[in-house]
Amino acid sequence: MSLQTRLKGAVGPPDNDSRHLLDPHARGIPGRAAMRTFDDADEVDLLIVGCGAGGAVLAQRLARAGWRIVVLEKGPFFDPDSDWVSDEEGARSLYWTENRVIGGEDPVELGQNNSGVGVGGTMLHYAGYTPRFHPSDFETHTRDGVGADWPLSYWELKAHYERVEAELPVAGQDWPWGDPHSYPHSAHPVGGAAERAQDGARAVGIEMRVGPVGIPSGTFGNRPHCIYRGFCIQGCKVNAKASPLVTHVPDAIAHGVEIRADSMATRVEVDERGRCTGVTYVKGGRERFQRAAVVAVAGYSIETPRLLLNSTSRRFPKGLANGEDQVGRYVMVQGAPHVAARFPDLMRMYKGPPPQISSEQFYETDERRGFARGFSIQTVGPLPIGWAGHVLADGHWGEALREYMRDYNHWTTLGMLCELLPRAENRVTLAGELDLNGMPIARLDYTQCDNDRKNIAYAKSKLYEIWEAAGAQDTLEIDRYAHLVGGCRMGTSPEESVVDRDHRAWEVPNLLVADTSAMPTQGSANPALTTMALSSRLADRLVAKAAPSASATGAVAVRRAVAAA
Amino acid sequence: MAPDFREPHHLPKHRAGAPGPPPGLPRQRRGTTPQMRGRYPDHDVLARAGHWDAATRRLVLDRVENPPPIRFFDAREASTLAAFCDTVCAQEAEPRIPVLAYVDDKLHGGRLDGYQHAGMPDDREVWRRVARGLDDAAREHGLDSFAALPADVRREIVGAFADGDLSGGVWDHMPPDKAWGVVTRSVLAAFYSHPWAWNEIGFGGPAYPQGYARMGVGQREGWEGDEAFEVDPVGDVLERGAE
Repeated sequence: MSLQTRLKGAVGPPDNDSRHLLDPHARGIPGRAAMRTFDDADEVDLLIVGCGAGGAVLAQRLARAGWRIVVLEKGPFFDPDSDWVSDEEGARSLYWTENRVIGGEDPVELGQNNSGVGVGGTMLHYAGYTPRFHPSDFETHTRDGVGADWPLSYWELKAHYERVEAELPVAGQDWPWGDPHSYPHSAHPVGGAAERAQDGARAVGIEMRVGPVGIPSGTFGNRPHCIYRGFCIQGCKVNAKASPLVTHVPDAIAHGVEIRADSMATRVEVDERGRCTGVTYVKGGRERFQRAAVVAVAGYSIETPRLLLNSTSRRFPKGLANGEDQVGRYVMVQGAPHVAARFPDLMRMYKGPPPQISSEQFYETDERRGFARGFSIQTVGPLPIGWAGHVLADGHWGEALREYMRDYNHWTTLGMLCELLPRAENRVTLAGELDLNGMPIARLDYTQCDNDRKNIAYAKSKLYEIWEAAGAQDTLEIDRYAHLVGGCRMGTSPEESVVDRDHRAWEVPNLLVADTSAMPTQGSANPALTTMALSSRLADRLVAKAAPSASATGAVAVRRAVAAA
Repeated sequence: MAPDFREPHHLPKHRAGAPGPPPGLPRQRRGTTPQMRGRYPDHDVLARAGHWDAATRRLVLDRVENPPPIRFFDAREASTLAAFCDTVCAQEAEPRIPVLAYVDDKLHGGRLDGYQHAGMPDDREVWRRVARGLDDAAREHGLDSFAALPADVRREIVGAFADGDLSGGVWDHMPPDKAWGVVTRSVLAAFYSHPWAWNEIGFGGPAYPQGYARMGVGQREGWEGDEAFEVDPVGDVLERGAE
């Protein structure tokens, strides 16, 4: 038995106290009342736009290194006790529901499907899966002749995966795929719906493992244990599911970060030398400007490109850092159809977190399948409105809809995440329509390529094999997409990327892109953990460059650090 | 052996074209379901409301007790679209979930879904045009309003809408498949966010702060109702020719 296995659940992260800073009797973040504040005119060391997976981790790390930081967040600073409900329709406040236009041959639905808002970001309503990327994801062009190579390798990120897994913490069985690893917490119990899927998979030679999920399985500071209520996607009222709101924001605030909620960034401003000077934002209907030595944009794959494209100036007439027309391109989504199956017994798939078991057996390229790259298989647990969407997508309304709905508890659902390839024409642009602040809304165009279609069709056939082997009496299918990745990707040259390997814009020395939009490929893993690990690495790089001269007052040193990174 | 819900014979794909709900559905005994049919005759989610957290309880009970008034649609649109919602949800009798009231409230409050297909109008305009399109279809059947049509004709028109099979009039400037997506999204959310629908399908409901503990195949919490199959003894005897 390895030491790591022996220590499961016993050791928390040494350099993040969030779990202890939470209140055992209330879910709101206790440090909020005493949070440090900065004046707009005060030039902070770092201004981060977006308090999600990328922004919150960066803030927490650098605050511990003494940086003076403000985070602008468009959405509210939620108190889960009073602001969230155990109700699907009541969870709408968690989603980005302001208008966006979707186009292309395969339009991607946004809003509740993949776009969150509020302190904690889209991880407030992710299901909870936290797989790592595989080493191959960082070099798909070299290995498979598709996609792009990253300007960094898995091995540069590995230590940060481990750190973040300890902070969330991640629970799951030992992981045999990609770079084999184990998790800090033991796997959660599996419900009846997932057991059926596991039986079927085993019968056709597919191995599924429990996890990995960002939900402690045991005690973890003042984070309560999961109560298996199944509303993970609707915001965890329990504080059991990991999101930056509970994993990084408390520690960030304790180290002097100001998180300015309800603040919509509309422009990153630059001086005549082409350096960022801060960000214009709207709070309470009033336009304001926060000065900063360095700006990090972390608004996810739609809003990050939108903000840069809207930040036009004489020097950057096509948008900030967009001299080579790269901002907004290579946006990716994963093909994520579900196939549900019907069995004689009641399984009540609304119980337990939707992410229970998963398989990465088909993750890598296998030439015999006739396409490059692959997919993963995961359980999902749609609640009634979600289940109604499945039934309707399969072509049933009226009495047929009602009957499949009445049959809800007999069903179990598997989904997949198919790696769809990055394409330049899948991009975010500005639409003609303006939002309430007078800022052009975003448009996302998306069209699959031939490899994508083959991947999805093959993956779906595997799900049907599983259900047939399990003895399913009936099946229902829905085509959908999951996640958003890319849009301001990192690379090795300004002609084909927006930022370098240290997330710094090629064209603007003190502008960083610190979120999922910096990723050049997406694998068939949920992106949250990798987004956090990237910000963790970025913070290390910045601190190393700033040392030893950086101090709490070292805006100059900070600028130098970013410029040198 | 008596039939029960373990077998799939009652599912739509196994009884193609059969109208109406499958035989064997019991009447609801506790609480309310739409049309008082369901699978779980003794499962009443609302009886658990005292166990829910205050924020959830307030929201869900308000949804049941105070359906919002119609403010977004005019009277004619409201009558047409209420009939449309009831056709999509197969609500041909009372008690009905007032689906259109929740849709109207959402549109009135401008709480849209966060995306709009290129070339499509705003969701609010989509709903108004759908109302006009349905009334146009009614006129082809000699009636002025979709709501005045007999149920089978309404189902025929909704079927054509679902299949993207409508053209002319409003549909020339709005692809029916995209419009179907917009309106059904709100209809399903309104219907299946209502506790009466949860009773019908045996959903456990909010379950916070209490949570679930019995997650295995065939298990249920003590307060969750069980599935029941009901045979009408008189009809059954006649059908089987038994004495």
